[in-house]
Amino acid sequence: MNVKRRVAVVGAGITLFRRRLKETGKELSYLAANAALESAGMTMDDIDCVVMGTAPDAFDGIHMKADNLLDGAGATRKPYSRVYVGGGTGVFSPIGGWWHVASGLFDTCLVVAEEKMSPCIPHPQTAFRTIWDPIITRPLNPNLVWIFALEMNRYMKTYNIPKEHIAMVAVKNKGNALDHPSAQLAAKITVEDVLNSETMVWPVQRLDISPPSDGAAALVLTSEDVARKFTDAPVWIDGVGWSLDSAYWTNRDLCFPQYVAEAAKMAYKMAKITDPPKEVDFAEPYDPFTYKELHHMEGLLLAKKGEAPQLTADGVTQRDGDLPICPSGGLLGVGNPIAAAGLMKCCEMFWQLRNEAGKRQVSGAETGVAQAWGDLMQVGTVTVFRR
Amino acid sequence: MAYDKIRDPRRIMHVEGDMEVDYIYTAGIAGERFFVALRDKEKLVATHCDKCNHTFMPPRMYCDRCFAELSNWIELPPTGAIASYTITHEDNNGERLPEPIVLAFIEIEKTDGALIHQIGEVKPGALKIGMRVQAVFKKKSERTGALTDIRYFKPA
Ligand SMILES: [Zn+2]
Repeated sequence: MNVKRRVAVVGAGITLFRRRLKETGKELSYLAANAALESAGMTMDDIDCVVMGTAPDAFDGIHMKADNLLDGAGATRKPYSRVYVGGGTGVFSPIGGWWHVASGLFDTCLVVAEEKMSPCIPHPQTAFRTIWDPIITRPLNPNLVWIFALEMNRYMKTYNIPKEHIAMVAVKNKGNALDHPSAQLAAKITVEDVLNSETMVWPVQRLDISPPSDGAAALVLTSEDVARKFTDAPVWIDGVGWSLDSAYWTNRDLCFPQYVAEAAKMAYKMAKITDPPKEVDFAEPYDPFTYKELHHMEGLLLAKKGEAPQLTADGVTQRDGDLPICPSGGLLGVGNPIAAAGLMKCCEMFWQLRNEAGKRQVSGAETGVAQAWGDLMQVGTVTVFRR
Repeated sequence: MAYDKIRDPRRIMHVEGDMEVDYIYTAGIAGERFFVALRDKEKLVATHCDKCNHTFMPPRMYCDRCFAELSNWIELPPTGAIASYTITHEDNNGERLPEPIVLAFIEIEKTDGALIHQIGEVKPGALKIGMRVQAVFKKKSERTGALTDIRYFKPA
C-alpha cells in the first residue's frame, strides 16, 4: 500500500438521535457539521472539500438525497461527493474523506453522515422490501429481520451459544448509552428483560434490535501539517479497510463475516497491527442486533470464532474490561440513523482517544477500531484510529 | 438477445414488482416558520445573514456561505418579479393540456432568492420578464401549510 501522507481527525460533532426529529435532513447535517467545525476550531473557509455519507435514498424519501443535503453539509461551491455502501456507509464516509486527504489532493475534508428514517411510513423496513433481487428473492416477500434471524440461529447452533450471553450485549450497550448525551434508547435493563421481550422473528426479540432513528454526525479530517496548526491532540486515521462479499446471501458463510475479516486485515496491515486483541484497546463494532456485535468482534479478529459471547459473559467487553466494546452505547443504545450511526462510532473513537468521552471514558485508550456493515448484508468497513 | 421488437414485456419470462414506499416529511425548522406564516398571515418568511448580508428565500436555518446559524427571521409581503417563465402545453405524461400552464421563476422582493410558481390572470402573450407579480391565496379554510396555499401569482 502506498499511502502518501498521514491523515488526522481534528473535530467531531453529532446531533441528538431520535425516532423522529423536527429538523430536515439538511438541517441535521448542518447541526452536526457545525458542531464538528466548532470542535476543530475551524470555519467553513478552512474546509477544502466535503464528503457525504448517507444510506439508501428510500429512507429520507428523496431520490439522490446527497444532492439535497449538500448545502446543509457546507458543500455549496466546494468539491463534494457522496460515498455509499448501504449500512456500511457510516464508517466508509471517513474512509472517503481519508483518501481525499491522504492522496495529497486536499488538506482538509469535512465528512458528514446523515440519515432521516422517520419520513418512511409505516416503517423504514418498508423501504428494505425493494433491495432484494427481484427475480429470485423478492417474490418470497422477505424482510431484513429474516436474514438476521437465520444468521443468528446458525451462529447460536454452531457454537452452542446460550441466548443469555447474546442478551448481555443489549444490557451492556443500553447501559453504556446512559452516559451518551445523544442517546435514544439508553436504559438500565436485565438479561431477563431481553429474554422476555416480544419475539419478532425467532430468535430475534424486541430488545435484540436497534431502532430506526433520525440523526447526523460529522468529522473534520486534515493533513498532518494542518492538524498541527489547529490542535495539540490530533487523532490519526492509521488504517482503513473495506470489502464486499457475494451479493447472493445464500452463498455466504452465516457463521463468520468473512467480508469484515478482509476489511479488518486491510486496515490492520496499514496500521501495522499484527495481534489485534493485544494491540486494539477498544472497539466500536456495528451492533444493529445483539448477536451482530459478537459476530463482528470475531470478524474484526478481536475474538476467536464463537468465543465473543463468552468474553461478553466474562465482562471483558464492559467499559472497564480488558477489551471495551461499544463504550458509546452502540446502535442498540444510542440509536441507528444508519450512516450517522456508523460515523457516531468514529466520533466516539475521536472523543475516547482525546480523553473527551466524559463518563464514557475508557482508561488509557491509544488505539480504537470502528466497523460498520450493510449493503446487501455483505459489506465490511473498518477504520483504525490512534492518538 | 435483444427484445427491441417486443412491445409487451409480459411475453418475455418475467417477474412483476413495484417499489412503492410512502412518506411523511417534516417541514423542518425553517420550513415550519415559512409555512405557518404563509398559511396564517399570507406572508413570506426569509432569513437574513448579517455577516454575508444575504437574505435567503426560501428561508434556511443556516447560511450556506459562512455557515452561521441564522436567527434573523423577516416577514415579507408575497410579491416579486418574474425573472424567467415558461409555458407548458403538455402534462408529465406527454398528454395535451386543455389550457397551457405558465410557470415562472419569481424573484421575491427584498430577498436574494426566488420561488417557482404558476402565473394566472394574464394572457401568455402579455407576459414579460421583469413583470411585478403578487400571490393569490386559497381560502383560509382550504390552506394546509404548503406552497400550494398560494394558488398562483398574478400581475401586481
Ligand atoms: Zn453568512
